[in-house]
Parts: sequence; structure tokens; C-alpha cells
Amino acid sequence: MASSSHSMAEREGGGGEEEEEEDETLEELEGFDDFTLASSWERFISEIEAVCRLWLVDGPKNLMEKSAESVGSRKNLYKVKCELKYGLKLYCMEYYFETSRNGKAAHWDDDLHDLQLSFGVAEFLVIAPLSASGVVLDAPESSKLLSAVAIALSNCGSNWPAFVPVHDPSRKAYIGIQNMGTIFTRRFDGDRIGSQVPIRLMHLEGLYELFVSKFALSSVDFSTSCFKVRFTMKLTYRTPPYDDDEIESVEREAKEPGRDPDGLNLIKTQWDDDCPWTEWYSAEDPVRGFELIAVWLSRTFEGSLEMAELENASSFDAEKWLIYPIVSPNMLDDSVGKFVGFASQLRLLVGALDMSFEAQFLEDFLSAENPGSDISKSSTAIPPPTVLDRVLKELFHDGIQGSDCVELENKYSRAIKGAPLDSLFAQFCLHSLWFGSCNIRAIAFLWIEFVREVRWCWEESQPLPRMSINPNIDLSTCLIHQKLQMLAICIRKKNLFNHPNCTENKDHNSSDSKVDFQVDLHKEPMDDKSDSYYSSLRSDWQHDPKGPKQTRISLSKDPNDVIPSTNLQPVDQVRKGSAGVVGSMMLLNSFQEMHSPYTQDAPIMTEDMHEERLRAVEAFGDAFSFSGQLERDVLSSDMSAFKAANPGAIFEDFIRWHSPGDWEDDEMEDKSRDDMSWRPHGKLSQRMSEHGNSWRQIWNDSPALPISEQKPLLDPIREGEKVLHYLETVRPHQLLEQMVCTAFRASADTLNQTAYGDYKHMKTKLSQLYLTLASSLKPLQAKHWPNKAELIGDLKQLCLVFEHIEKLVILAASIHRKLLKAPRLSEAIFSDYFNFYLPKMGTSLTSMCYDEDFDTKQQVMVRERDAVASLFPPPTANQSWRKVLSMGNLLNGHEPILREIIFSVYDRVSSGHYGSNIPMATTEEIETHRMYICGTSNDLRAALSVTSWD
Amino acid sequence: MMDSSSLSQPEFDYLFKLLLIGDSGVGKSSLLLRFTSDSFDDLSPTIGVDFKVKMVTIGGKKLKLAIWDTAGQERFRTLTSSYYRGAQGIIMVYDVTRRETFTNLADVWAKEIDLYSTNQDCIKMLVGNKVDKESERVVTKKEGIDFAREYGCLFLECSAKTRVNVEQCFEELVLKILDTPSLLAEGSAGVKNNIFKQKPPQADASTSSCC
Repeated sequence: MASSSHSMAEREGGGGEEEEEEDETLEELEGFDDFTLASSWERFISEIEAVCRLWLVDGPKNLMEKSAESVGSRKNLYKVKCELKYGLKLYCMEYYFETSRNGKAAHWDDDLHDLQLSFGVAEFLVIAPLSASGVVLDAPESSKLLSAVAIALSNCGSNWPAFVPVHDPSRKAYIGIQNMGTIFTRRFDGDRIGSQVPIRLMHLEGLYELFVSKFALSSVDFSTSCFKVRFTMKLTYRTPPYDDDEIESVEREAKEPGRDPDGLNLIKTQWDDDCPWTEWYSAEDPVRGFELIAVWLSRTFEGSLEMAELENASSFDAEKWLIYPIVSPNMLDDSVGKFVGFASQLRLLVGALDMSFEAQFLEDFLSAENPGSDISKSSTAIPPPTVLDRVLKELFHDGIQGSDCVELENKYSRAIKGAPLDSLFAQFCLHSLWFGSCNIRAIAFLWIEFVREVRWCWEESQPLPRMSINPNIDLSTCLIHQKLQMLAICIRKKNLFNHPNCTENKDHNSSDSKVDFQVDLHKEPMDDKSDSYYSSLRSDWQHDPKGPKQTRISLSKDPNDVIPSTNLQPVDQVRKGSAGVVGSMMLLNSFQEMHSPYTQDAPIMTEDMHEERLRAVEAFGDAFSFSGQLERDVLSSDMSAFKAANPGAIFEDFIRWHSPGDWEDDEMEDKSRDDMSWRPHGKLSQRMSEHGNSWRQIWNDSPALPISEQKPLLDPIREGEKVLHYLETVRPHQLLEQMVCTAFRASADTLNQTAYGDYKHMKTKLSQLYLTLASSLKPLQAKHWPNKAELIGDLKQLCLVFEHIEKLVILAASIHRKLLKAPRLSEAIFSDYFNFYLPKMGTSLTSMCYDEDFDTKQQVMVRERDAVASLFPPPTANQSWRKVLSMGNLLNGHEPILREIIFSVYDRVSSGHYGSNIPMATTEEIETHRMYICGTSNDLRAALSVTSWD
Repeated sequence: MMDSSSLSQPEFDYLFKLLLIGDSGVGKSSLLLRFTSDSFDDLSPTIGVDFKVKMVTIGGKKLKLAIWDTAGQERFRTLTSSYYRGAQGIIMVYDVTRRETFTNLADVWAKEIDLYSTNQDCIKMLVGNKVDKESERVVTKKEGIDFAREYGCLFLECSAKTRVNVEQCFEELVLKILDTPSLLAEGSAGVKNNIFKQKPPQADASTSSCC
């Protein structure tokens, strides 16, 4: 501001200040150009002065742009520094400044630097020797240093307070001085008692008296005024540690002998017993505890008795409660191997995928000579047979029959080409993650045994466990899962074939008992809509005109139409495979009701079969007479069945039933057939009646056979064997690709089941995870990997992403369950941590280091106080003997771990008396004494600021 | 399939797979025939699938369109699901003179697309065929537009018989595909080297170009 105009006056005034310092060399202040005459101390002062002037001129804004660095995680405190030499010693001077604080900081602002809090200053200088301790040990040196800074500051007309560290570093002791215009000087002194705190100073009363005693020592005359001491207090409580008695020996030792148990020993309690991941691993509770801060806002006291009363006050009386979780530092440690969870195992699985290209068959990994020389022993170990037995038992015998609990899955889950969480293959993948060290050999070993078990189910016609009973194959899943679905269906069909009586075909009438696995075309609901589609078709049929008269004039104009004997003979052939009469439709040539036949199910196909058909069509190109063989087979089967169910039926009958759109009611052209009014009028559509129509050709070629006598469209024996052949010969990398996708999806689905309340950030992040997984795993489905190393690298990166989310989910679950009754608060706390954690997730390969612990506090609403207080259960007998309580303000029997107090007294002064250059006390009151006290019953730190005029 | 050598210099910039679906008899095959060989015939009902290739130049790009024509009969529906795979564009056809062919689009066909399409971004197009039979029309243009809006499709009415709007229909669909980067990436000539290894069949339609 107007500092340059002040500077002259201040320089003159500065001389007065320096008298008390033990300087002998400084006679004159002006004209100090000739440095040859100056002592080293003078040169030191002028050096400081030069630096300070530079800083002053620049101001915070420019300094920020130049070289200032932020201090810790504080949003708004920055520092610049420079090194200075005095004699043989190097000193470092730092200027701390704020950028955006408007006016004075609140007493208990979290963002405050220790010196700001202790002495009630905003910007400040610190000068300290560049030594290991950074502390000025000898008293003359410190006061000399401080006076050098004071002189320099005063020379350049600055009001910055300056501090010098003194004594032992553990004492955190400082002395300081601030030039406050022409008259005032503020002095600072802070020190600490690390042990053996006098009993008097353990209590508020004693601390109050300590503060008051400072006035008496002061030269100012306070005797007439009654001391109105302002007081504010901040108490910090910490939730008790989990009692060691509750340590449960973790029941995992039997589970994974091959796994190194480090990290698991730390687990004290099974806090996550009912969390979805505990089926696979136990997580360390990321929330070590909570710290609760109770703040008594500023109030005025007039005597030590009042202080004593306050010490008995409940912490519920405090105006403000703030809370934050003490989060385990492991949350922020991404180094590989530190965190054991899905993410760590997925990383191993990706490693196995990388190895899987080294061999043609899975068996090769198990053969003796294979293990490469460079592979360390532990990464190739195969778990003992007992582990294998347990895993297979869990997979095949403990599993409930597959349930379609789709609702538990995230809506994006299906975008990942894996398998549903409960399915056999997904469970296989999850087991593999934890099978030994999830190396390629262990996986190969488990897979071979797994396939052997699957084959056993097939041979013994046992239903495959953990497979849904959905008769369709979900093409959005991975191929192995599709194959297993196919196999499950084949096993069911095989069983129906062998034991037709215990079937699900309830609607067969007795004459059709031979009809086995086929279901009527018209009774196989694809969904509700297709039913309505059918009923609309049927209503078409019912509109067909019909009459009672029987005639036998052939409708056919086509010479190719061979409808041989049926035209002539009365229908005496045996009707076979009828599923019932179709409405009121009559056959054209025989006065018979039309019967709908049982038809074969359209064959189900796995993805590779679909692709095979595509390729076949593509290969034949436009020559469509060759394409659609399967459709032809289906059509032929339907025609055969129709013929069997309707002896005497002709092609037109079939079309009327099968493709009603191709039967045109057209009475206009029926001139020649007036006498046959009983029969349905109409004709085939143009396209159906053309010469060489392929439908008619197929009709002619199809024998009358009920489906029970037909060759099945889907041969369950053949298809089942094909599936097993696939499973038995799958290439290692094909298996691993699908395992990676499925394992990622199943892990995400498992985490997604975690109860963590309504945390929006977490929900969004999980959804994002699914999308990331889907897009990152997509390249795995490509036939060729142009750059394998890059893909593997991407997948490892994906594991890190997964680890972040996994840790956050665990944290969310932990916070959620601890503050169940304060959902707003718990979400706010989580969201604070989430934002703190967020930068980590943005970074790529490098793991990000955090210098600061998480300590963002959330204010506790009054109605939430009970929920928070319940985090502090009354101490057990076991806990209470440990501590002798010596402080007051207990919370549920817990004393604060830290008590911070600020005392201050103000004095009314008139501005005219003190001059106009005092920024702080322009008109009415000036803080003459301020004391910050911080500590416990055996550790006390006090910092005193005294403003005086000399 | 036999001569894969011809692929060394792809004679097109992009290959797109388009699929025609809709009820039996709405004129899918006729549309395809009109587009690929500019003729109109009463065609034998499709059994299973038919497909034609047409080279066109649209938006300055040489394109090879493989257009798959499926059977509309209910019975073939599950088998048809194979052909949805990898399609960049799906044309839903209905007959403006038969309401049920229109209602079935919502009830049946749109669901089939959701179920079987492997391509998230694939472009859907709604086509009302047989507008030449204006006197028999039962589905209004407005209904078509409303449907297209609800399902996020392109929409056109056309007649395979009179050629009205047939070329525009395919052109608009292809332009939209060209506007969609993910589809473009799939269709780029280099990627699809495992498919269509042989030269386009010497069928009548193979080299006619459009626009």
C-alpha cells in the first residue's frame, strides 16, 4: 500500500527499537554503500533487507507466479525462501504468506500453520540455520539472528512478524518479534514441556492462572481493569482402539496355504464378516478410528472458578462438533503386494494370461520340463490336492442350482463379456484367483480337473451345478459360459430322452408320449408379446370361410404339385404328433380339421456356431439356394410333422398354418369353384405359387414324420460332446482371455453387492468402473493382438484402477456401517475422503505420494451427535486401568487426547494516541496478550504473544 | 474364400453390413432386389437368409455394402439371430397396408435387435414399404415418424415396386453410419480381412453403383 511513504518514518523509528538489542556496530543507517567498512553482521542485515524488499515489492500475487510453493496440503498458505550466509553459517529465510484469506482467520481454522495458530499471526518470516536440526541452539545466536531480521524488516518498513526456532527441536520452541508501527512491538515466545507437567497446569484453572500471571509481569498497568479474559477451547477425542482381547485368529489359514500370509496378521477383528468379499478374503479395516473435535467458541471469563466449572462440562455442551476418520495409510499405498484383494489377484491372473501364450495346450504347463529356468519357484507352485478337492467340492457340490439373481448385477455388467456371478464359470474364475498364487500352472491344473468334473456330470447325466435353467443361450456372455449353458441344456435333453416320463413336457397327451424333448411351436412362448403375435395370427385363421360340403377338386394348378394319394383316399392314415386342432381351420382337400403338430425346438446355438453360419453364408455369396441349410432343415421338419399330424394335407394347408401371410383370401377369382363353398376360398400368394418355389420343393421332399420319429435338429449327444471337446482342447490363451474378462466382471459384481448406503460418489465410480472394464477388456476379444505387450500393460493398469475402486468400496462399507444412524454425515465423510483420494485415480502408472494425511473434518449436526457419541463406547474395565484420567470434559468416559486453548485479553486504546500506522488496532481494541496452550496431562505446549510499547 | 490374394488391394474404403428385418411378406427381398439390381419381381419367400453385395460411392467413399435379407416367418426368428452379429445398420421394414406388420416392429423386432445386435452403436432405420398402394394404406406416416422418434431410428416410406425412395433409404442409412466413428472403425477395409475374402460374386448386382 503506502509502505514507501512510511518507510522513512519507520526507519527513524526503527532506531529506537534496536537499542535494546546488543548491537554495537550499527551507528548510522543511511548511506550504507561502502561495504568494505561494514561488518559481516551489517552485510548480513542488508542482505536480509534486500531479500525482504524484493518480496515486499513482488507481493503475494507475483510471488505465486514466480517461485512460491504451497505449504503442505494447505489451500492457501505459500512460502518463498532464500539462503543467506553469515560468517561460516548458512541460514534459510522463509516467508510464508496467504493468498485469499479475508481478514482474520477463525481461531480453529484447520488450515492454519502451527505458527499462525500459536501466535495469532497471518504472514510471517522464519529464519533458521541450515543444519540437520534446523534449530538455533545457542541463545546469543538466536537473539542476534532475530534482531538482525528485526532491523532489516524495520529498515524496509515491513510489519511482518519474524520467528527463530530455539532450543531442542522436540520443544518446538520459537522466539519472535513483530514491529507494529511506531510504538508497538509484539514479542513472541513459545515452548513445550514434554513430560512431568505440573499438576496445576493439567487443569483449566491452573492454565488460566498461568495466563493471568503474564499481565502482572508485564510493564503495562492492568491493575485497574478487571481482567476480562477471552477464552476458546478445542478438545480432540479419539475413538478407543479395538480391544486386543477381541483378536480372532483368522480362519483363513486352512484356505490358502500357498499364499503368503503377510498383511493378514494385522487383521484384528472380522469387521467385514458380512461383506460380500469375505467369501474370498478378509480386508483390513481402512478406518482405524475417528477423531472428534469439540469446540467451545469464544467466551469471556472473569475468574478461575468459572474455568474449573467448565472443566466439568460435558462435551455435548460444546458449540461445535467436528469429526474425521483416521484412515489407514495402506489406503494410499499402491505398491504391488501391499493390498490383497481382487485387484491383487487379478494382476496375477493377467500375468498368467501373459504366460499362457507360451504353450499350445494347458497340459504343457504341467509337464515336468516346462517351467522355464527364469521362473522363480513360488510363481509356479501348484496347491496340494487337499486344496483342489475343497475347491472342486465348493464348485460342484456346495453350489445351489443356479438362480438368476440378475438384479444384483449392475446394469452395465452385461457389457463385459464374462459370465453371471453365480454361474459355474464365474465361480471357477473367482476360485482360480485364490488358487495358489494364481499362476498359469495352478490355473492349468485347476482347469483340467474342472473339465474332468464337468465331463463326469455329462457322462453321468448329472445336471451341471450353478447353471441357470434358461433354455436360451445368452450371447453376451463369454464363449465358455455359452458352451456350459449348451452342455447344461444337452444334459437336460439327454435326460428327457432317457426318461421321458420325468419330463417337463406336461402338455403331451397320452398318444404322444413318445414325443420327447420337443415343444410345440405355438406353445413355446418367447415372451408375452410373441404370444399375442400368435393369437393375432390365429384370429386370421378363424376368419377363414369354411363350409360343410365335401368336395375333392384339386386346387393345384401346378403340375409339380404332387399330392399323391391323400387326395383320393379317405383319411385312414394314423394321425401322429398332433398338438391339437387349430381353431376351426379345415384342410383344403379333405373334410378334416387342421391339426397343429408338435414341432422341434429351433436349435440353440453358441456364438461360434452363429459365426460359423455367417461364414458359410458369406462363402456361398449370392447363391442363396445353398444358404440357410439350418432353416431348410427346420422347415422340412415342420412340414414332416405337419404331414404326420394332418394326413391328407396339401402344401396350401401347410402355408395357411405356417405362413398365413402367403395365403390370400380372394373370392373374386373363384368363379369356377362356386360349388365348393365349404372350403376356404383363397389362393397362395404370387410368390408362393411360382414355379420352382423352394418351399414347395421342400414340401415335396419331406416325408410325413412326427417329430418323435425325426432326426432331432439338435442332437444333444453330439452337441454335448462337441462342448466337451472344446473345453478339453481350449487353447491356454483362449481360456485365460475369457477368465480375465469373467474374473474382472465377477469381482466387480461381488464388490457391487456391498452395502454402503447411498454414497453417490461410490455409485458413480462403480458404474464408471464397469464401463472402463467393458471398454478395456474389449480388445481381448479380437482374434489377433497387434501388440500383446501393450495390451498386457493396459490390463495391469486396469488392475490398478480396480484396486482404487476396491479400496474405496471397502472404505465406504466401513464408514457406512460405523455411522449407520447418521447417513448424511457418513456420506459427507466418505465424499471428503473420496475427493482427497481422487487425484490418485487420475494418475497413470506412477503411484502418487501424499505428504499429508487425510484430515478433512466434517461438522456434526446436533441430531447426529448421538450416533457419533456411540463411536465412543464406555471403556471396559480392561481399558480403564491403562489410563489415569487427569483431564476433564470426558466423553462417555474418554478423556480428550488433546486440549487446545486460546486465552486473550484486549485493551481499549484510542487510535490518536498510537498513531495511524497500526493496521490491527485502528480505533478501539488491541489484543495485548494472547496465549495458545496445547497439550495433554503430560505434554504441554504454550505460546505467548505480548504487545507492548517501549 | 478360395482366392484370398485379391484382398491385397481392397477395392473399397469401407465394408458395411446391413440387415433387413420385418414380418413375412412386407417386401424385404423386393427392396433388396430393387436396390441391388433395380428390378421388381415377386420373389420366392426367403428361407433363412439371403444376401447381396453392392458397391456404391456415397459421401466420396467407395463402399461395399453387404445387405442381409432375413426370413420374416416366426419360425425362423431364433435362427435369424445369427445374422444380427456385426451389422452396422439394421433396416426394419413394415407394410403400410398391414397394420400388424407395423405393430410387430415394436412388439417383436425392436426387442430382437436389443437381444441380438452385437453392436451398441448400430444405426436403426424404419422403412414403410408399399406406399404405391396408397388407397390401402392403414399406417399413417405420422405413426411411422412417432415410432422412429421413440426408438431412435431413421425413417422413410418407400415403394420397392415404383422405386420411390429405395435408394434414398440405403443412402441415408449409410451416411449415418459414415458419421459414426465407432462403426466406421469396424467397417474400415483393413479390419475385416477375415471376412469376404473373395471378390464379390459375379452376380448382376455387384458392380452397379449408386449416386
